[in-house]
Amino acid sequence: MKRIILSLTVVLCSLAAMAQNPQFFRSMGETLGQYSTCKSVADFQSLGNKFQMIANVEKNEWLPLYYYAHCYILMSFIDQADAAKKDSYLDVAEKSVEKLIEMVPTESEVYALQSFYYTARLVVNPVERGHKFSRLSNQAIGKALKLDMTNQRAQLLKIQGDMGSARFFGKDPNTFCPQAADLLANWDNFKPKSPIYPVWGKDQLESIVKGCQ
Amino acid sequence: MKRLFIYLFFCTFSLNAFSQTVISGKITHDQGEALAGANVYLQDSYDGVSTNESGAFSFKTSKTGDAVLIVGYIGYEQIMRKIELKGDTIHLNINIKEKFNQMNAVTITAGTFEAGDKRQAITITPLDMMTTAGAVGDVYGALQSLPGTSTNGESGRLFVKGGDSNESQTYIDGSLVYVPYNSSVPNLSTRGRFNPFMFKGTIFSTGGYSAEYGQALSSVLLLSTNDMPTEDQLDLSLLSVGAEVADTKLWKNGAITGSFTYNNLAPYMGIAPQNYDWVHPPESGTGAISIRQKTGKTGMFKFYTSMAKSELIVKQANPNADGDLFNYNLANDNYFMNGTWNGKIGEKLAMNIAASFTHNSDCIRYDTVSVDQKTVGTHLKNVFTYPFTEKFTLKFGGELFSKTYSQNALIPSGIHFNSFSNHELSVFTEAQIYASSKFITRIGTRIENSDYLNSLKISPRISAAYKLTDNSQFSLAYGWFYQNPLDDFLLYTHHLNLERADHYIFSYQSSINKRTLRVELYYKDYKDLVKTGNGAIYFPSTYSNLGYGYAGGLDLFWRDNKTIKNGDYWISYSYLDTKRNYENFPKEAVPTFASRHNLAIVYKHWFSGLRSLVSLNLKYSSPRVYNDPNSPVFNGAKMLPYRSLDLSWSFLYRKNVIFYGAVTNALGFKNEFGRQYANTPDSGGNYPGIAITPQSNRFYVIACFITLTKKGNANQLDKIN
Repeated sequence: MKRIILSLTVVLCSLAAMAQNPQFFRSMGETLGQYSTCKSVADFQSLGNKFQMIANVEKNEWLPLYYYAHCYILMSFIDQADAAKKDSYLDVAEKSVEKLIEMVPTESEVYALQSFYYTARLVVNPVERGHKFSRLSNQAIGKALKLDMTNQRAQLLKIQGDMGSARFFGKDPNTFCPQAADLLANWDNFKPKSPIYPVWGKDQLESIVKGCQ
Repeated sequence: MKRLFIYLFFCTFSLNAFSQTVISGKITHDQGEALAGANVYLQDSYDGVSTNESGAFSFKTSKTGDAVLIVGYIGYEQIMRKIELKGDTIHLNINIKEKFNQMNAVTITAGTFEAGDKRQAITITPLDMMTTAGAVGDVYGALQSLPGTSTNGESGRLFVKGGDSNESQTYIDGSLVYVPYNSSVPNLSTRGRFNPFMFKGTIFSTGGYSAEYGQALSSVLLLSTNDMPTEDQLDLSLLSVGAEVADTKLWKNGAITGSFTYNNLAPYMGIAPQNYDWVHPPESGTGAISIRQKTGKTGMFKFYTSMAKSELIVKQANPNADGDLFNYNLANDNYFMNGTWNGKIGEKLAMNIAASFTHNSDCIRYDTVSVDQKTVGTHLKNVFTYPFTEKFTLKFGGELFSKTYSQNALIPSGIHFNSFSNHELSVFTEAQIYASSKFITRIGTRIENSDYLNSLKISPRISAAYKLTDNSQFSLAYGWFYQNPLDDFLLYTHHLNLERADHYIFSYQSSINKRTLRVELYYKDYKDLVKTGNGAIYFPSTYSNLGYGYAGGLDLFWRDNKTIKNGDYWISYSYLDTKRNYENFPKEAVPTFASRHNLAIVYKHWFSGLRSLVSLNLKYSSPRVYNDPNSPVFNGAKMLPYRSLDLSWSFLYRKNVIFYGAVTNALGFKNEFGRQYANTPDSGGNYPGIAITPQSNRFYVIACFITLTKKGNANQLDKIN
C-alpha cells in the first residue's frame, strides 16, 4: 500500500511533465512494463527496437537511448554467441553511451550505465580485457557516485565489482555483504525523479544478498 | 507493482482508435532468409513492431497521408520506404542488405600479423608480447615465435622470410626508428630498445606491405604507442637485471609520463654461469618522457623522447691472434625523439604528421682497433587519408629520410675517417577499393629519390583479398621493394644503386570459433644486391649491384584457444628455401642466417586458482650453414640445430602487483652458432677457428611490477577524459 501511495505521489508530481508530452510517457511506460517479461536475446532485441523507435522521435530525451543501450548490454550477457557477435551488440551500446554523455554530461545514471557497459566488454574476454576494462568500469562508477552518492545502480555495481575482485584475489567477498544488505534495506526508499527513470538492479542485489547467507 | 500501476494509468490515455491502417509484411535479408528481430516503424511516430521468427510483422497506425516506413537491424542498411496511409491494409515484403562495414569486411592478411586490443579477428595480441615465454619482455623476441621468422641466437634481431636482419625496419607511430636495437658485441644477442608496455598495437608485416613504407626489403614492424593514460599512476618495476620507475600525471586532455630505467647485469652474472668473461657486465641507463595531448575533437598529439647510455666490456677470443682473449669495450649513447599528430581536417580528410630524430654513437675498443661510429637520422612524414566513400579510400603522402653516418677507425695501419650523408625524398599514393565486403584491392605506388646514390626508383605494390566464407579468406600480394645498400658500403662509395626484392605472396586464413589456421606461400626475388668483388670490403672500386638471390617458402600458423579450457596454444612452422650470390660470396649459396625448418610451439595456461599465467615455448631451427675456409665448399659447414624450451610464469598477486619469472632454454640444450675463423691460415695451412656460443646456456629473469594509483578516493577516479 505504502508503495502504491509512493508511486502515486511520484506519478502525480510528474504529471506536469507528462502533460507536455503524454504520448512519450505513455509509450515509455508501456515499453518499460515489458522489461520483466523479457528473457531471450530476441525479447530484448524487440524491446530495444521499441526504445530505439521512441529515441528516434524524441531526440531530446535521454531515457529511451539509455534503455536502448541497456537492452544491448543485456543481450551481450545472455547471448551464447561468439565474441564478435557480443562485441557487435556492445558497439551499439558504446555509441549510445557516448551520445548519452554528450546529452546529459552530469547525469549520474549515465555513468553507472557506462560502467555496466565496460563490465560487459570485459566479460566477453576476461583474460585479454580484464585489466583495462575493470579499471575503466571502476572509473565510471567513481564518476557516477561523485555526481550522486545515492545512485543505487552505481552502488550495486560497485559492490558487485568489489566482490568479484575479492573473489579473484582469494579474499573473502562476504566483507561486502553488510553494504549489500544495507543497500537492499533502503532500496525502496529511493524516489526516482520520474516514473520512467532507471530503477533496475533490485533483483541482482537480492541475489547477492541471498548468496551472502 | 509500480510498473503495473503506471501502465494502467497510461492505458486510460490510449482509447483513440479511429481510422486505422494495417501495415504488414515480411522482412528478409541477403538471399531471402527471414530476418527476425528487425525494427519496423513509421518515421517520427510511435507506431511500429519487431519482426517475428519468420520475419513477419504487422501493426496498426491511426496516422493518415504520406509516411515513411523504416526497417532497421543491427549491422544492416536501414531501409526508408515512402508509403501512403489511407486506412486500408498495406502489405510489404522488404529485403535488406548487410551494411558495408570496414570492421567486418575482408582484410588483407597476406604477410601481415596484426595485434589490436579490441577486435577478435587477430592472430596475436599485445598481451602475447608480454606473456610468451622466450620473449622476456622484448618486442622482437615475441615476434620470433611467429611464422616467417627465425631465432638466430647470435643476433637476437628479426630475420624474416629469408631476409637478413637489416632488411627489416621498425616504425613507431609512423616514423622510422633508425637504431631499434641495443648496441651489442658481434656474435652476442641483442634486444629491442623499447619496452613492449609502451605499445597498444602492433602490425608485423612479413612482406607485401603498403606503398606507405619503403627502405625495407623484407619486413616492417609498425608499433603504435598507447593513447591517453586513464589515471595518475606510479609504476615500479624491479627485475633481477635492473629497475624502472615511471610516473604518469594527467591534466585536462593531456598526460605526461616520465620514466627512468637502470639495468646492470653484474649481480645476475655473478650468480648465473656465463660462457664469456665479463670485465664490465652490460650496464645501461635510460631516461624517457612521453607526452599525450588531445587537440580538438579528433586530434591527438604524441611525443616521446629518450636518452640512453650503455657500457660493457667482455673478453673475446681473437682468431687472428691465436685465439687470445682481448677486452671488447663498447660504449653507446642514444638519443631518440618521436612526435606525431593525428587528426582530421574538415569532415573527412585525415592527416598524420610524424617526425623522428635519432642520434646514436658507438665507441668500440678491441685489441689494437678503435672504432667510433655515429648515426644521425631524421625522418619527416606526412600522410593524408581521404575516404571518398566507405568503399573507396585514397591515401597519399610524402616523406624525407635524412641520414649521416660516419666512422672513425684507428687501426694499426692508420686513421681512417669516412662518412656519408643521404637524403631520400619519397612520395606515395595508394587506393583501397572494396568491391564488396568480400573483396578488397589495394593498389599503390611509391617513388623515391636518393641524392647520395643519385637514383630514382618507382615501386608498384598491389594486394587483394577475397572472403570465401564468413570464416575464411585468401589474399595475394605483389610488389617491388627497394632499400639502400648497407652503411658499411655507402661509407666508401656512392657508385651503387638501391637493392631490390620482388615479393609474391599467397595467403589463406580461416578462423572459426577461436581457432585460426593460416597458410602462406611466398617467393622473393632479390635483384641488384651489392657484390664486393673477391672478399675484400675495402675496395669500393670492385663494388657492384650484380648480386642476386631468391627466397621461397611455406609458413603455417595454427592457433587454438578453444579446445583446452583456460589454455591457449599455437604452432608456427616455416619452411624456407633460399640462396644468394651477394657481398663476398664466391657463388650462389645459402646465407648463414637462413635455416630451412623453423618450428615454435607456444602453450599458455591460465590457472585461475593461482591467478597465474604459465607459458611454454618450444623452439627448433634446423642447422644453419657457415663458411669453413678449411673446406673447399663455400658455406658448406653446418651448425648445431637451435633448440630451446622457454618457460615463463606471471602471477597476479594483487590488482596492482604482478610477479614474473622466466627461464630460457630450461633444459639446457647445447646451442652453437658456427665458428669464427682467422683471416689467414696458420703455418700448417689451416685456418684456426673459434666456436660462437650463446652468452649463457640458460637465462633467468625474475621481476615484480607494481602500479600505484590514488584509489579509494572517489574524487580521484574521475580524471579520465
